[in-house]
Amino acid sequence: MSARNDKPTGSADERRAAAGEPMVWLSGMGLALGLLLIIGLLGIIVRNGIPYFWPKRVAEVTLVQGAEIAGIGGQKFSGELRMQRTKRDSGTEESQFYLGNRDIYGFSFKFVDDSQIAELSYPEGLISVEREEYGRAIGYPIKLVLADGTELAASDDEFDTRLEAIIDEVSDRRAEIKHIAKGKIGKINRKIDALKFKEIEARKKFVEPSDKLGAALDEIETERARLEERYEVLEGELNELYELQEKDHLIYRISSGQESDIGLGETIGFHYPNRLGFVARCGLFLSNLWAYLSQDPREANTEGGVFPAIFGTFVMTLLMSALVTPLGVIAAIYLREYAKQGPLVRAVRISVNNLAGVPSIVFGVFGLGFFIYIVGDGIDNFFFKTKASEGIPTFKTGGLMWASLTLALMTIPVVVVATEEALAAVPRGMREASLACGASKWQTIQRIALPAALPGIITGLVLAMARGAGEVAPLMLVGVVESANELPLTTEPPFIHMDQKFMHLGFQIYDLGFQSPDSEAARPIAFATALLLIVLVVILNLAAIIIRQRLRKKFITSTF
Amino acid sequence: MSPQSRIPDPDRFKPSRRVLLIDRLMTKLISIGGIGIIAAVLGILAFIAWQVVPLFGKPEVAADGELALPAGDYLMAGIDEWGELPFALASNGDLVFVPVGGEVFKRRVVDGAKIECIVYRPSDKRLLIGLENGSVLPVVIDFKRNFQDGEAGSVEPQIEIGDPLDLDLGGGKLTDLSFAESDEARIIAAIVESGETHQLKAFRFTRKNTLLGASKFTLADSYELGGLIAGDPLKLAVSGRGDMVMVANSEGEVFYLHLEGDRFALRQSFSPFADTGAPQLATFDFLIGDTTLAMSNMAGLNRNFSLFIPEGGDERLFGQTKEFASLDATPTVLVPSLRNKSFMLVAGDEASLRHHTTNDVRWQERLGFQVAHAAINQKHNRILFLDQADRFHLYELDDPHPEAGWQAYFGKIWYEDAPGPAYTWQSTGGTDAFEPKLSLIPLIFGTLKGTLYAMLFAIPIAILAAVYTSQFLSSRHKAIVKPTMEVMASLPSVVLGFLGALWLAPLIEHRTPSLALMVVAVPTVCFLIGFCWSRLPIPIRRRIPPGKEFLVFAPVLIGLGFACWHLGPVIERVFFVVTADDGQRVGDFTAWWYQTTGLRYEQRNCLIIGVMMGFAVIPIIFTITEDALSSVPESLRSASLALGGSRWQTAWRIVLPTASAGIFSAVMIGLGRAIGETMIVTMATGNTPIMELNLFSGMRTLSANIATELPEAPEGGTLYRTLFLGAMVLFMLTFLLNTIAEVLRQHLREKYKTI
Repeated sequence: MSARNDKPTGSADERRAAAGEPMVWLSGMGLALGLLLIIGLLGIIVRNGIPYFWPKRVAEVTLVQGAEIAGIGGQKFSGELRMQRTKRDSGTEESQFYLGNRDIYGFSFKFVDDSQIAELSYPEGLISVEREEYGRAIGYPIKLVLADGTELAASDDEFDTRLEAIIDEVSDRRAEIKHIAKGKIGKINRKIDALKFKEIEARKKFVEPSDKLGAALDEIETERARLEERYEVLEGELNELYELQEKDHLIYRISSGQESDIGLGETIGFHYPNRLGFVARCGLFLSNLWAYLSQDPREANTEGGVFPAIFGTFVMTLLMSALVTPLGVIAAIYLREYAKQGPLVRAVRISVNNLAGVPSIVFGVFGLGFFIYIVGDGIDNFFFKTKASEGIPTFKTGGLMWASLTLALMTIPVVVVATEEALAAVPRGMREASLACGASKWQTIQRIALPAALPGIITGLVLAMARGAGEVAPLMLVGVVESANELPLTTEPPFIHMDQKFMHLGFQIYDLGFQSPDSEAARPIAFATALLLIVLVVILNLAAIIIRQRLRKKFITSTF
Repeated sequence: MSPQSRIPDPDRFKPSRRVLLIDRLMTKLISIGGIGIIAAVLGILAFIAWQVVPLFGKPEVAADGELALPAGDYLMAGIDEWGELPFALASNGDLVFVPVGGEVFKRRVVDGAKIECIVYRPSDKRLLIGLENGSVLPVVIDFKRNFQDGEAGSVEPQIEIGDPLDLDLGGGKLTDLSFAESDEARIIAAIVESGETHQLKAFRFTRKNTLLGASKFTLADSYELGGLIAGDPLKLAVSGRGDMVMVANSEGEVFYLHLEGDRFALRQSFSPFADTGAPQLATFDFLIGDTTLAMSNMAGLNRNFSLFIPEGGDERLFGQTKEFASLDATPTVLVPSLRNKSFMLVAGDEASLRHHTTNDVRWQERLGFQVAHAAINQKHNRILFLDQADRFHLYELDDPHPEAGWQAYFGKIWYEDAPGPAYTWQSTGGTDAFEPKLSLIPLIFGTLKGTLYAMLFAIPIAILAAVYTSQFLSSRHKAIVKPTMEVMASLPSVVLGFLGALWLAPLIEHRTPSLALMVVAVPTVCFLIGFCWSRLPIPIRRRIPPGKEFLVFAPVLIGLGFACWHLGPVIERVFFVVTADDGQRVGDFTAWWYQTTGLRYEQRNCLIIGVMMGFAVIPIIFTITEDALSSVPESLRSASLALGGSRWQTAWRIVLPTASAGIFSAVMIGLGRAIGETMIVTMATGNTPIMELNLFSGMRTLSANIATELPEAPEGGTLYRTLFLGAMVLFMLTFLLNTIAEVLRQHLREKYKTI
């Protein structure tokens, strides 16, 4: 062995590489290229998605003498450096800054020629305050003006703790406002709406004015009065809360020298971006991540969180799985166990397989044409007659139920194929042993074949979920919206609102990238959302792959 | 133990009745359920087809009763929007209304004076009556529907007789009249007979809209237009906006007079039937939208002329775009539809409903009575004929999709305002008069174009990678590589589209030369590396064991990509030089491309689609190809290697040919995926339905078209059904491709079994 390693033996011909070696290398390039492309793609998404959460330092930019930038109004401004690029026409470098303070500047992002920048500094005094509207406020804090008229200068030791306490208080109050405005008042509004339809119904029922109609109308009227009274009480409470929210103010100065104030009622949090150490940054990173996952979106989805979209995707996928599993499994059991195998069943099998390759948009078209316009119309005319006659659709419009059904239909082939394969892989011996023991056909399927095929079925289901979760095109036709007021699952009966439109991560990306009024501002969060969606789908797929590999191993050992 | 107990129960092997019952029940349940589910899933195509079928149907026209009019001489016939209240103007000045299932009633509009000629424009709800004394009487005929308890009730006419307009006709007799009316202006054109000859006159009235409402029309200008035309004027038509006055003379020549500011000018004259034996015009009128003039000659031939800017011209002129088959007699009545580009031509007892856009005779029938006047209601669902014996004949018309049909979807059509026949998709426009252009060809073309570029990118990479993975890669690496590629298959297309549009497109907009360089350099360099490497002595070669070559390429490719990226601009400056506006010679590929080929360079182009859709397709082709290659029986490989074949020879000559059907089926399935891909193309192209193979322009695919237009398409309308047709084309295309692939794969499996 060692001799061969030391010096080559054999004739010159033998020493020359085997024929076609360059081609092997060429094919190796194919694989390397493919892998690089995937890794590169994922890398780009991670690279662009993660920084969304990472707290950046805020630079104070001093412009060179005489330089003037439209809208800045001064020699100085502060902002996060977001991007640097070379201008194509002149070859000069320019930098993009996120300025915040949209209420003052009227824009959030600005490109500045590097030649105009005299100095970049990172003053520790800069504060970055996150608020509900106009992006962040970035500047130097001056003082807090409290409700009782007292003032607290920023230099005071208590300033930070006090600000934090107020923001906590304000957040609690905001939660309460939301609870009243959305929960309680929303409930009353829905009841008042229902009364309106009740009245229409009553008028239809008793065409002629009669005592009965009068009684019914009176009843409705008293109920309405009662509701309106409660509404007024709640509105009073709300107004009180709003007033409390308004009472504290933070006065700050932006880099150009202009002073401004924020009502603390709209603030969400604050930090000093240039004072943070690495650990503090990590902490803030995690808290940003958590906020992104758990909060409602703000400012046309370009800020805040994506919780409703995550939730919508989750509920829709779950509902779809609940629909597709029984359907797919029954169809597969029939095809594999009960149908008489022959050319017809083979043709059906091929057709069902091929449906997996039919474009998803076709299913969306079917969902719109059949579920919404035909089935939905039928449901509306049968169960929601009054509402339908007023031109308000309940089910004759996109919604959770139709979206789930459409995707279930789309993913049936995936489950059928997986289940069939799994059933076919159950060793014949196991079935025969069961039948020989006197079990009926159904008992054999139920006790032997199905349990053995379970991992395969689950693989199929997980693959179906992955496909369903990542699909957007059909959803655009059957019920996804860029902004939904309510979650499809609430604590109010009937708990799951099948007719509700919902938000979806995939659609969010489309919406942010293409429908958003401020696409520059939407880009970072769109990348973050893309990252989230990919993580979700990849996890589902990896799960399927792992289950499948285990399944293979299991049957290798159990075949006899 | 008693002896009995030793005798086994004879029924002990019998299953319990419950078990049998459940078994039977489940058999039934699963059979019914299974068949039902499969039928439902396969029913998708049936449903879509069911939605599409009405597009190709011929209209249904059925006689729906006759109504008698009082005897008299009738000058015109009309019908209300809902088709329930036919009416006619008698020569004595009575408007006679004959409600369906009601009593005849009259409204007098002209008292005493003799009516010379009339013109009725249902689109403006206006009737203009030319009287003997030279004055013209405008009458507004509108209809109101009474509602009772939310139920539709009877239809009532609402007639408003305006002040007579005294026109200076020079004492002649009115023979034809036409008009146009807008908020500010009213144009009336008239042909006046004086002695043997006819004179053409036009009058322009204006009024001011003040805060208190519109004032009265006052005469602003009167025109003698005889000097602008040749011959004896015979017929008139004024466009709805009043800017075009069309005049036909007795020799069959048509003059197009255009109102520019406050002056008329002759813009064009043409003889539509000069090449036929009967050049004189029998009927002539504008179709809805005032862009097309439908004309027929005395021999019954029907030609339509539309406005368009001819090749090299700069003015919209009329040119023949359509010709329809002749009717047997001289046409007497031409009724344009108020809803679409249909029109009805009647000659004697023969009525023919035609659609301009598709050049299609929708319906043609001998009615069995001589038609004097005819009308179509605004909803385009009722036809009214008034025969010579003073009877109304009502016909039910059911033609919801006249603009559809094979010709509309797959044929070349000469649309209005187009210089020639073309395949065009433009489904919606601003007004009712818009001519929908529903050719699916640009969409199919776009679909195939996107697919082509995606496949050009994906196939080489995917197949090379699959060959390497299945034939040369060690199984340890394979266990990682394969799942990685499979995970890539599941990347949501919305993410790919987003990246393509917002990251890749701006990135490579000005780096096309770099990209082109990469396409050439990467394979060449890799091949050369392989070539040189295989010439090296074995000890060096052994440093990289077989099956690990691809690892070497990772740094090589990154370096190469980096180099090409930065070399691109250099190449651009050397080879793609154009002269900029300021006279400087600069290297700019996008400008160079436009100057050299005349084709546009769009930021979101096919290159982006090719790469991004390639991402979606590579893993699919890779996985299936790899499976097919891996399952080639080991004995074949071993035999080849044992006979001294090199590993490449084995792969190339033995494995690839054996698995070729599998590779082909992989490509088919990849093709299917690319054809139906929606989000990537919706996001990463400009979605313009154009027909050019230009790599640097966008396109619109069938699927993107559905995604963007279906949410706004009214249910059951032509566009809605057309989009369903698009979905059906997609369905069938992908289903066909997948079936081919599946059959091939099954065939391959059989083949492997026999080896």
